[in-house]
Amino acid sequence: MLPMTNTLSPNLVNDHPLQPFIERLLKAEALLPDTEINVLEVVGILKSYGVVLDAYAVNLKYIADHQFLLLFPFFKYFNGDITLNKLLKHWWHDRINYEYAEYCMRTMLWHGGGGLDAYLDSDEFQQNCDRAIQAKLKGNWLMQTLHRLFPDFLPEQVRQSAYYSGLGQFWTVMSEMFLTLSDLYDQQRITSIPEVVAHIKDGLVAAASLPITYSVEIRGDRHDLLPASAGLTFLMDTAVPYVEAVFFRGTPFLGTVSYNAQVQQISPDQSRFAYGALYADPVPVGGAGIPPTLLMQDMRHFLPDYLADYYRQGLRGDEDVRVQITQSFQKSMFCVTSAALQGLLPHPATTEVPAEQAANQAFLATWMDRLMSSRLAVVQLAER
Amino acid sequence: MMLSALILIPLVGTVIVSLWPHHRPAKEVGQVALLVQVLSLVGAIVVATRFDIQQPDLQFVESLPWIDALGLTYQLGVDGLSMPLLVINSLLGAIAVYASAATIQRPRLYFSLMLLINMAVAGAFLAQNLILFFIFYELELIPLYLLIAIWGGARRGYAATKFLIYTATSGILILGGFLGFVWLGGTGSFNYDATLAQSMTLWQQGTILIAILIGFGIKIPLFPFHTWLPDAHVEASTPVSVLLAGVLLKLGTYGIVRFGLQMLPDAWAFFAPWLAVWAVVSVLYGSLAAIAQTDMKKMVAYSSIGHMGYILLAAAAATPLAILGTVLQMVSHGLISGLLFLLVGIVYKTTGTRDLTVLRGLLNPERGLPLVGSLMILGVMASAGIPGMVGFISEFIVFRGSFLTFPVPTLLCMVGAGLTAVYFLLLVNRVFFGRLAIALPSDKVEPDVMLPPVAWRDRLPAIALALLIVVLGLQPHWLSRWSEVTTLAWRSPSVAIAQPPSTTPPSMAGFAPLPFTPDVTDD
Repeated sequence: MLPMTNTLSPNLVNDHPLQPFIERLLKAEALLPDTEINVLEVVGILKSYGVVLDAYAVNLKYIADHQFLLLFPFFKYFNGDITLNKLLKHWWHDRINYEYAEYCMRTMLWHGGGGLDAYLDSDEFQQNCDRAIQAKLKGNWLMQTLHRLFPDFLPEQVRQSAYYSGLGQFWTVMSEMFLTLSDLYDQQRITSIPEVVAHIKDGLVAAASLPITYSVEIRGDRHDLLPASAGLTFLMDTAVPYVEAVFFRGTPFLGTVSYNAQVQQISPDQSRFAYGALYADPVPVGGAGIPPTLLMQDMRHFLPDYLADYYRQGLRGDEDVRVQITQSFQKSMFCVTSAALQGLLPHPATTEVPAEQAANQAFLATWMDRLMSSRLAVVQLAER
Repeated sequence: MMLSALILIPLVGTVIVSLWPHHRPAKEVGQVALLVQVLSLVGAIVVATRFDIQQPDLQFVESLPWIDALGLTYQLGVDGLSMPLLVINSLLGAIAVYASAATIQRPRLYFSLMLLINMAVAGAFLAQNLILFFIFYELELIPLYLLIAIWGGARRGYAATKFLIYTATSGILILGGFLGFVWLGGTGSFNYDATLAQSMTLWQQGTILIAILIGFGIKIPLFPFHTWLPDAHVEASTPVSVLLAGVLLKLGTYGIVRFGLQMLPDAWAFFAPWLAVWAVVSVLYGSLAAIAQTDMKKMVAYSSIGHMGYILLAAAAATPLAILGTVLQMVSHGLISGLLFLLVGIVYKTTGTRDLTVLRGLLNPERGLPLVGSLMILGVMASAGIPGMVGFISEFIVFRGSFLTFPVPTLLCMVGAGLTAVYFLLLVNRVFFGRLAIALPSDKVEPDVMLPPVAWRDRLPAIALALLIVVLGLQPHWLSRWSEVTTLAWRSPSVAIAQPPSTTPPSMAGFAPLPFTPDVTDD
């Protein structure tokens, strides 16, 4: 009698419904088709995103460093510079919507993942955190009482501060990367989507081992919360969890589609969430209460002229610019995802070793499984 | 001559437009037609400003003998019942012309028919002679038939013919009723005279009233004579629908109030309880049928049937307040249904469909029709009688004026007002809320929905009507002042008694106290 064997060869699994995309990624191409318009949209929007990200990053780091354990941080969006003019502008709402940065930060905090999340649950962090809290609460009996009553509350606030700082550091790198990309495009040294993806991939790889650290100064003493010794790095501990949390999982935000969690329209398994940037529906953007609207509103202030002109040529001209920005932004996020997946491939894409090829294929196939319900098919269309 | 001008302006306009030189650009035809309509609106406003609101009887009376042998006199006059309707006719006429596409086929014929309708309706409201009214009433029928039959939708032939058959039947019944007035009344003149029926027996009055009720019931339309209306609306183009709902249906309610309530008082009082029941049936039927519709335009059309029922209820109750309510409801329904049809027209033009099962989320701020959607919400709120808008005022006065006379029918009609909220919320919820979509979801990968923008030119008439609806809702006196004295004089014993017989104009003499006039004096 023959023993039970598994005779499937590795080659037989190359039949993923999104196999063409797997092959594109392995050929150093992108999930987004390489067209002139796509390059214009992606680079243009990343230029604007770069400017906005820089503002977000500066503010996130400011909040982490200077609004530490403030329960009522009324002026957290002012970066320490409180003037009447700024206050009026804030109320007038013609400002950077820092709320969106916090929305992303909380999404990351909630979904967790990566070394940062793990470290925040470690004993070492707990001890550092306690020391910082005690130092901060010295002489403040009200807060001390609060801390005694709810001993988990302030540590969770500190964890959130760590995410503020972590996302701020991540975005600082990304912002510079996108602005450089725009400069290279302006100099016509980048003219195609694969070049855009390569630029981002190189940037991610170059910054991969950048340390992620966080410390706060309390009464002149510096307290390390994420010490360099924790070994947290840019790529694996912020970039990958960020892509997972913001591009893929996201949150089922309130919008024009209502989810009924009780009948499990929202998966009880958080890892199966598919509400992130790659899945987002651009059409409702522009409505109140739909978080991407904030980002799109910020980006419309910094659009390069060529992109603004392109938007104006649309059927609705300026009227639907936030929806058009979302569409371009989604395209650009597919490029960033392409770069991230290529950067994370277990083996070089050009490998000739069948086992390594199979490993690459399997790695990309698991990601493609998740992209099945994404907007991948729509961004392939030439119409806007 | 002032009232004749209201007939002459559109008539001369019709001639000018139809003879407009062919070598001139086609869009000029529409501009000339609009100019004529604006002139006629200005004319109506001038009449309104000179109209003495303290005077309950006919004003600006013009009388020219025409065909004596027939008893046909060219006799015009205006009172508090017809004054607001004249203005609404000119206003909606101007809006309908403005809202017509500049690129319409055969513009000379189209716009001259539009002006002809305006002229015929003005004539019917002004006429003070039964035959003259009938001539104008029939005259309006032909251009409307052609407007539906030529510029209508896919089933225009069917709808136009149905409209023609129904309305022609209505015309025959009305003519029969009018002839009965004169033969049974024993006079040789067809001039309006409220004393005509005095010498008739109740049976005679009743026979005439039934003919008139069915005749105008078809026009209004009331259940079960309504079936032509949804078809006509669905096939008619937007401006024609505006005219049809806003102005032409009012000829029916005007006729019922003028010839039934005013000229056949005994029979009217006898039939009144049954008329109230008929009103209830019509209101509930129209509202329930509206709930079942999946075509936006049909829904608005059935809503019209429901809302016209209120007028019959108020006319049946015949208290001074209720009669005032009939006038206000006519005006407010004209404005509101005009607005709703304009908006449905914009939705249809932009999305290519009016199907409630397909359209979603048009309120989308960037890619949808947010302003049109907001106006639609305002329109349906007004139609459902939300306070602050003219629909509330008119419906409240109708219900308030009818309640003591017919409590149960009034309560049932109020259920109809509640049902208005039901079907219009269904409409708004389906078409305007949710995620934007103009087609059923499919497996095909399609780009995101992209609707063309709505031009300000198209939004303007809807905004103007919406403003009027709100302004008259907040300041109802600007609307009711024209009719209060007239409607009070019709049915208020105190006023009639206070007037010495010598000063009572002949046309009003028949409206002296009636034994069964409901005793509502608190208004």
